Amino acid sequence: MEEFINTFHIDWKLMVAQLFNFGVVFLAFYLLAAKPLRKLMKERGEVISKGVDDAKLNAEILEKTQKASEEIISKARMESNKFFQEGKKDLEKARVEHSERIKMEEEESKKNRVKQMEIDKKALVESAKNDIVALAMLAAEKIMADKNIQNKQK
Amino acid sequence: MAINNTNNNTEPEQAHEVTIFAEPVFHVGNFQITNSLLNSWLAVLVIVVLCFALRRNLKQIPGKIQHIFEIFLEGAMSLCDQVTNDRRITLKIFPLVASLFIFILVNNWLGLLPIVGSVGFLANEAGHSVFVPIFRAGTADINTTLALSLAVVIASNIFGIMIIGAWKIFNKYVNIKALGGIVTKFRKDKSVIIVAPIAFFVGILELIGEMAKVASLSFRLFGNVFAGEVLLASMGAIFLYVLPAPFLFLEVFIGLIQALIFSLLAAVYFTIASQDHEEHEEEKHVAHA
Repeated sequence: MEEFINTFHIDWKLMVAQLFNFGVVFLAFYLLAAKPLRKLMKERGEVISKGVDDAKLNAEILEKTQKASEEIISKARMESNKFFQEGKKDLEKARVEHSERIKMEEEESKKNRVKQMEIDKKALVESAKNDIVALAMLAAEKIMADKNIQNKQK
Repeated sequence: MAINNTNNNTEPEQAHEVTIFAEPVFHVGNFQITNSLLNSWLAVLVIVVLCFALRRNLKQIPGKIQHIFEIFLEGAMSLCDQVTNDRRITLKIFPLVASLFIFILVNNWLGLLPIVGSVGFLANEAGHSVFVPIFRAGTADINTTLALSLAVVIASNIFGIMIIGAWKIFNKYVNIKALGGIVTKFRKDKSVIIVAPIAFFVGILELIGEMAKVASLSFRLFGNVFAGEVLLASMGAIFLYVLPAPFLFLEVFIGLIQALIFSLLAAVYFTIASQDHEEHEEEKHVAHA
């Protein structure tokens, strides 16, 4: 043992000094590198896993929303189609009604005009008759006057 | 201070050989400051500065240095997981194992710098002028490796006491429980009279094994690094240019491998110390039954 110690110059003070050096390295590594780095990596891992969870949740929400929106759109499409068909029918009905009403009004106004025309015609005929009578009377008066004059001259 | 190739015909003969021990550079009272201790301080300084730099620049979105550290941390932890097979044990031993790896690695690699072993001063020893380098790889000194090995083996046993209890760790080495079993189990099982002394002897072997762990850990690391220094010095002596380059690369690799081996073995020792062998044996008995 003595020979071994002398050959390799084993010195317990040096061993303690080297252990102290290692202790400093251990503390520096543990307190300044390993511990904060692991904490940071753990935090980052948590952030990433939270992000992944959020992304999954968002994907689920997006899927649900897409389904809901598709349902709403298809429902709205069906309703709009229904409204459109109903509107089309109503429009057609209104158009028919309107055209019938116009036709009726047209016929009525036509009848009214014919009636008016007949009244006017009667009035005209009456008036013409009166004029003819008056003319005939005037002509008769003139002829009679002329005959009177001739008679007198004779 | 002088450069080692200052041999001059007018100067007395200078001896420059790689010694198996670290040479003292100066003294502070009784305490001798060796060249390997100086190198260790340099290694500590480098590591502490790096750790401070990392701590100051820690961000949620990592930069280059932080990224490298994160990759190292993740890789080292998964490697440690492979050894322990238990994340809880890994989390407990990882700071110690990782700092061992870093300390040894930086010490090994600092020993390969050009200033190490080549810049020094001439000391007069027994009439001879001896060249003493100012720096020597910290792990090329048995004091460093022995201190680290002792720390690892003692710490692993303390860790074992914390995990499975002092009584079980004590019984692992001095198996009183097995000897007591002769009295308590003899009626049920006659073979206990043979098995118990063997178990007790195995415990003593375990104790010797702990000492062997210290020896194997310390001498493996010291031997490899010291042999590397000798190899590089020899190659440099044969031909100063080009020839040492491949060996330098080899030493870089060996430095990494040795640091990894030391720290992995430390992880293995910690894991072994934290496992209760009796529980395993009982589980085996239950499985057989």
